[in-house]
Amino acid sequence: MNIELTINGNIAAMKIDGILNSENAHILQEKLAGVLNSGATTLELDLLDCRNISSTGIGKILLFYKDYITKGGEIEVVRSSNSVYELFSMLKLNQLFTVNLG
Amino acid sequence: MSLSTKVLVVDDSIAIVNSLVAILGISGFEVDTAFNASDALRKIHNNAYDVVVCDIEMPGLTGLEFLSKVRIEFGRELDVILMTGYLEHDYFIEAIRLGASDFIRKPIDTKLMIRSIRELVQRKRSRSDLADFYTNLDRAEFSFVMSPQHFSKYALSKIFSTYLRQSFKVAPKAMNELLVCVDEMVYNAFIHGTLKLTTNERAMDHNHLKTLIEDKLKEPDISSKRIKLNFSVDNSSRCIEISVEDEGEGFDYKYWLAQAKREPIAEIEGHGRGIAMLYHLCECLEFSEAGRKVKVRKHLGPDSHNEAV
Repeated sequence: MNIELTINGNIAAMKIDGILNSENAHILQEKLAGVLNSGATTLELDLLDCRNISSTGIGKILLFYKDYITKGGEIEVVRSSNSVYELFSMLKLNQLFTVNLG
Repeated sequence: MSLSTKVLVVDDSIAIVNSLVAILGISGFEVDTAFNASDALRKIHNNAYDVVVCDIEMPGLTGLEFLSKVRIEFGRELDVILMTGYLEHDYFIEAIRLGASDFIRKPIDTKLMIRSIRELVQRKRSRSDLADFYTNLDRAEFSFVMSPQHFSKYALSKIFSTYLRQSFKVAPKAMNELLVCVDEMVYNAFIHGTLKLTTNERAMDHNHLKTLIEDKLKEPDISSKRIKLNFSVDNSSRCIEISVEDEGEGFDYKYWLAQAKREPIAEIEGHGRGIAMLYHLCECLEFSEAGRKVKVRKHLGPDSHNEAV
């Protein structure tokens, strides 16, 4: 699993590759803490090359989401793989933020 | 088992890709193409290739970066031949370090390339005796007992995926889903069943959580517990059964299973997400032993090599 994060003004762009699971979810947690402490008001998640996410990874995203929207931030999944799109739809996370496929 | 050889050609030059598709196709290989390394990575996650032939100098991810990602995800299992117009010493050393299977200098000597692909496939097939053995069994069963002290040392899903890939033909989508299932099952057995961590403890930052886990593992009643992982593969039905059992207190699995079967609602701090995922990713999800044991059954997906015939 690999995470690339770039913060440019109000926009934080995060690209996650591979499988996000309990073994590496803490890396995501650290990166998300960096976004929370930055001035970025929008997090654009690119999950096109993310092959799947375990519930631990989902938990980290949602904990961040809760803190981020409290600060006025927004999340958008700008691209996602079929597996991740299906997972987010199944868990109804697309009701919390925009999730785009492909 | 099919003897057809699937080759993925990766180059940003349309002319080189087209010419390799024609030459390798005439030589009897089944050829697929990608025009950049990111596209190639997506393709190898969704298809079973025997060999990847990749240019080193490409815009975006380079051939060396691509090779590095392949080695992280697949180990040494997938052969990658690198093509390059020049072979500087440092490049060469780095490619060897990353595990390139062979090099082909540009302009390409096609006879050399075909020979290299054939040799790599031959070598791979002689390595795959173990896979043939497992594939030809009616049923294979494996059982592991783990001490919680050693649990954190290993990336268990990586070990599991390497083993499954080397021993059985698992479709890429099914493999991704299986890895998530194993992660859910074993992590729950460790975090809930063995360590009894609370929601607040699990939400701690990594370093504090690591310290807390290390302290808990020193407690005799926790360190004496064991986690059992069993899996069996039935080749006639192409199904895998995985069970994980901990020595904790169990939980009200009937309630959570009923919740998982209902239409999920969007919740930020909801519980039972892992069970809902297992329920949706597998054909069968069962709990027993008061919730200490969880078992899933899942189809391994189409055998892509045989389907290609």
